[in-house]
Amino acid sequence: MKTRFRWWIVCCLFALVGDGWGAGPALQLPSHRKLTLANGLTLLLVEQHQVPLLAIHVVVRAGSVSDPTGKEGLAALTVELLQRGTQHRTAEQIASELDFVGGTLAVEAELERVSLAGEFFKQDADTALDLLSELLQKPSFPATEVEKLIQQRVDTLKQDKEDARAILPRYFYGALFGHHPYGRPPTGDERSLVSIHRDDVVAFHQRHYGPETTIIAVAGDFAAAEMARALTERFGGWVPAGRTGAIQPPEPTPWVGKKLVLVNKPDSTQTYFAIGNVGIARTHPDRIGVELVNLVFGGRFTTMLNEALRVRSGLTYGAGSRFERHRAAGPFFLWSYTQNVNTTRAIDLALAVLKQLHTDGISDSQLRSARNYLKGQFPLCLETADQLAALLAEWEFYGLDQREVTELFARIDAFTTADARRIIARYFPADDLVFVLIGNAATIGAAVKKYASPVERREIDQPGFQ
Amino acid sequence: MFKKLFLTLALMLTGPWLGAQTWDVRTHTLQNGMKILVREDHTIPNVAFYLFYRIGSRNEQPGTTGLSHFFEHMMFNTAASARTPQFDQAIEAAGGASNAYTDYDVTVYQNRVPASALPLVFALESNRLAHLSFDPRRVESERGVVASERRAVVEDDPLELLREQLWAAAFTAHPYQWPVIGWMADIEHWRMADLNRHFAMGYSPANATLVVCGDVKFATVIQLAQRWLGPIKSRERPRPITTREPEQQGERRTKVVKPAQLPALMVGYHVPESAHADFYPLQVLRGILLVGRSSRLYQRLVDRESLAIAVEGEMDLALDPTLFVITVQAKAGADTLTIEQVLYAELDRVKTEGVTERELQKAKNILRAEFHRQLKTIDGKSQALGNYEIFFGDYRQLFGAAEAFGQVTRDDVIRVANRYFTENNRTVATLVLATNAPNVRDRQPPP
Repeated sequence: MKTRFRWWIVCCLFALVGDGWGAGPALQLPSHRKLTLANGLTLLLVEQHQVPLLAIHVVVRAGSVSDPTGKEGLAALTVELLQRGTQHRTAEQIASELDFVGGTLAVEAELERVSLAGEFFKQDADTALDLLSELLQKPSFPATEVEKLIQQRVDTLKQDKEDARAILPRYFYGALFGHHPYGRPPTGDERSLVSIHRDDVVAFHQRHYGPETTIIAVAGDFAAAEMARALTERFGGWVPAGRTGAIQPPEPTPWVGKKLVLVNKPDSTQTYFAIGNVGIARTHPDRIGVELVNLVFGGRFTTMLNEALRVRSGLTYGAGSRFERHRAAGPFFLWSYTQNVNTTRAIDLALAVLKQLHTDGISDSQLRSARNYLKGQFPLCLETADQLAALLAEWEFYGLDQREVTELFARIDAFTTADARRIIARYFPADDLVFVLIGNAATIGAAVKKYASPVERREIDQPGFQ
Repeated sequence: MFKKLFLTLALMLTGPWLGAQTWDVRTHTLQNGMKILVREDHTIPNVAFYLFYRIGSRNEQPGTTGLSHFFEHMMFNTAASARTPQFDQAIEAAGGASNAYTDYDVTVYQNRVPASALPLVFALESNRLAHLSFDPRRVESERGVVASERRAVVEDDPLELLREQLWAAAFTAHPYQWPVIGWMADIEHWRMADLNRHFAMGYSPANATLVVCGDVKFATVIQLAQRWLGPIKSRERPRPITTREPEQQGERRTKVVKPAQLPALMVGYHVPESAHADFYPLQVLRGILLVGRSSRLYQRLVDRESLAIAVEGEMDLALDPTLFVITVQAKAGADTLTIEQVLYAELDRVKTEGVTERELQKAKNILRAEFHRQLKTIDGKSQALGNYEIFFGDYRQLFGAAEAFGQVTRDDVIRVANRYFTENNRTVATLVLATNAPNVRDRQPPP
């Protein structure tokens, strides 16, 4: 039972900044091999011999933006169900084989992609590849497993809603993006989940899973030629799903004016809030500048927001801001939480800091610190095979290449405070703001009307997130 | 140049276990008694600088519970001087990041910095150990920060509330009975004098161990340590904690009634401290029962009988006898009494039927992998070296850990199940959903 006092930002920061490898004098992109099989499957291989581990990162372009309307959560269910039964193995057999070799398999569903990340000992490479190949190509989606998982997911949503801090972004996406695909929850909601049946899962898999929609990155202790052969043997016969082109959601429209959603959680001792608007896309040309400014504003510990809300006033344990980036523009939001009685004081302060960013810009010393921080923490994301595999796959998914990467440190150094002014004016919202608050409506409802009217109110146990 | 990055991660498997493998860790003890462990690792141009103080909530008193954790926060608020800048500002401006955590037994300060910032880290750590100076205004603002932390992490989280009550019920004499973060009323009443007393008790070089892993040279680290930490005088170590929790003589039950979405159950069994010989058999038993989807309790409670959505087992590192805790997140509408019966039946089955050779091997493989994974990074290595030095008495125990797992037999597993998983030795905490809304007025639509 530990109580941690801060949070490590480092690698998640790079997941967001994510320009790949540093181009400073000390670090370069490790050489990797990229192969495209005849059926369209992309393979990325990095040899790393010093550790007897193998990291496999599979990305499939089958994320939740492809969920049919009313069946939100289908993409997430489908990827999870891959390990709950195949033509040759039951869910228990799969779990048992995986556990027996001390392997891990983490499954994640995001808006535009799903991923399976596995880590195994080198000597278990065949077991691992056999298992993954079967999971991806021959899942059987047993009806009992489908029903069981849906029930579990409905309960998990209930559990998620206990944790206001964690669930806040999901409500923010709902409020900001509305009917845009980004507004629909990847987890599904209490209604959509129960409308999903086995047939939907089978159809989703048939439609979206195929070699042409899949990237497999492997990093670790192997010979690339041999690994390429092993992968080709297992995946070369995978018949394409016949899907063409990547799914590119339309650019979301920023919110104009003010909007406030208050989610009533009567037992909450604090108000958890997020404030923001539409930000930028993953591959946006200004992303490094945006990230540098955000490191000053709210993206690490010594930021304008944290200094004001935590360090100087003691209103909260945490305050920050972030840009989440997807194929199209994701959200920007600042967030914090505070005791119910201090709700408007904290929000007023956060808005004042945002205003200050617009009026004052950032100073030379602030920019210098952000630059050093970005460069200094960068190598910590390149330490292990699993980090490498994940980065390579992500990079491929967004169509980024080495030219992007080799310029990173130079681009960080070239960024000036004058550039920062332009970035702030353009990408940090000023007057057009969406507010999402989770808290005790009876206590705070009247006071927060001053931010937007009318207040859109909903209950935490109401299905869905918008 | 990327070879530098991927040169080595130093861990090589030798045979089925890591046992035979050791790393080159060099040590030095300063004249004031601070022990330093250094592991040169040039994989990436960074350093994981971990400073372990042997002081935690275990060293506290009723009335000022949570003081160690509050003090940890205050260590980042030492007043800036002409000589030394503010801690976080300086670290981050130099490309580093810092963090810390407080536990029952230790308070640990963690700095992850580019190698070029190593001298700065020494200067900053030296400053806050040698020249403690709090701005009284910061005491008040930080009190608000910790109160907010407690609300977010405990009071708005039903499982954490339940955990707190479990430990409070399971321990009647030993200081593990109060939460690391402290009770809210104590958070509201710490005074400057308490902070100063706490500092005098625990923050002395002889009461600390420094672990440095990363792109450094041993000689440079020792030179910097002698310059910055060497001149700081040591005081008396904290008074030893002699309280032993009396043997539990019968089951204890507690509950938390709260408006929550799902019921939950926690069962805690008293088990020995980490340095005890039963630590490894208990970990293997945890593997068989609770780690992975093929584990017995997951299979039974989550998969086959659909009574729960998650089950997990934990046994934290501890200097004194601690708890083995099994947490079951029940599914909606599930009866926690039924879950309890299934749970006990599974524990009894280990005692009566034993475990299979394959299960034993599987648990060992899982633990071996877990062990291996925590050592992939320089952070993981610093953490592990410090943990073994403090909780097992010698960092070199780390290199024998894998072998110790490997030697556990099926009989060992059955023996520890019989020894610790008994009715009289358990404390059961249940999260019961409040049947009425907490406040009827809250449920009304907005005016």
